[in-house]
Amino acid sequence: MINAFLAQDGIYLLTVILLGLGLAGIIVCNNYMKKLICMNIMQVAVIFFFLCLGQKNGGTIPVAMDTIIHAADYINPLPHGLMLTAIVVSLGTTGVGLALLTRIWERFGTLEEDEIIQVKGEDEV
Amino acid sequence: MQLRRVITVLIMVTILVVPFVAFRVLPEIGDPNSAPNSHVTDYYIEHTISECNSPNMVTSIIVDYRAFDTMFETTVMFLSGVAVILILSNKPKKRDDMFRKFNPCTTNTGPSIFKTVNKDVMISIIEPLILIYAIYVLFHGEVSLGGGFQAGALIGMTYLLDVMVVKRKDRDIFNYSLERSVSVAGTGPFIYAVGGILGLIGGGLFMEFEAIPLPIEAPELHSIGILIVEVGVTVGVMCTIITILKAIMDRVSFDDDND
Repeated sequence: MINAFLAQDGIYLLTVILLGLGLAGIIVCNNYMKKLICMNIMQVAVIFFFLCLGQKNGGTIPVAMDTIIHAADYINPLPHGLMLTAIVVSLGTTGVGLALLTRIWERFGTLEEDEIIQVKGEDEV
Repeated sequence: MQLRRVITVLIMVTILVVPFVAFRVLPEIGDPNSAPNSHVTDYYIEHTISECNSPNMVTSIIVDYRAFDTMFETTVMFLSGVAVILILSNKPKKRDDMFRKFNPCTTNTGPSIFKTVNKDVMISIIEPLILIYAIYVLFHGEVSLGGGFQAGALIGMTYLLDVMVVKRKDRDIFNYSLERSVSVAGTGPFIYAVGGILGLIGGGLFMEFEAIPLPIEAPELHSIGILIVEVGVTVGVMCTIITILKAIMDRVSFDDDND
């Protein structure tokens, strides 16, 4: 039963749960580093969702072979190509995020949100 | 604080309820005739060898059919490297410097990582294997699985391994200055654009690899064009990873710096 569920809508449900976990983590976490990790989890969820769309029953990897000529026998290469670039761009966003965190650490000596707000309040007074 | 928890619970409930309504709209998993699997992708799959001379369909899509798209993806990578350098390029203010001295990195996380790793195995056995694999992935990207992004990530990974394994004083041997790494990262999109302009020189369109002015047959020209583009992507991704790593490592102090 669980196999049938996962083969149909369940896999969408799992990706959506992953997306929700990332989103909830961004809101709940007090630490900016954890927020960045949760943003990465959200990106992974979106990548999984697109890869689900490219799946075909009985399809093989998208490398053309002489013996297989029908298009229905290869899985859909388009989501894979799009997500390949998305992975690389997520690397770039993570790098910029880490650079910003470095600046925050230098300025406040901490990455906890409530402590940063406290330090900022002391500065203004 | 309380509001945060409420909002989170609301979002989670919405996200879990919406699917049961919306999943009827989404295509069925594994159905060869569903909407994402039926329109343009059949054309890509059937014409990848005759039009691009590249059995790997993912490569033929990202660097031949949609090459213009990927060119700016590479540029985005380069720009993120530049952004990291610009964010971290100022000198810290004196006041903040004082603040940093009051809060030095004191957490002890056990022995330094370069003491726990066997350098002989890591540098002389594992890293050459990774590099060989990266070169294979780069040059066989159009024939088997692989491509420029993966090769760039692997080569950047070897630099990362070196930085993790070798202690800070000894890093001068392979040190790659920030200015040099970012300028080489900029060379990546440039090589990519040159691959496109070669098509213009031959009288074709931008990124039309069949028009490259070389005395070879058209299918081989596609392989050459794809290779030029892949090399550009590899150089761009590799040096962007090195740039991000170096920019942050130069600025931050670690507890094992003085060991």
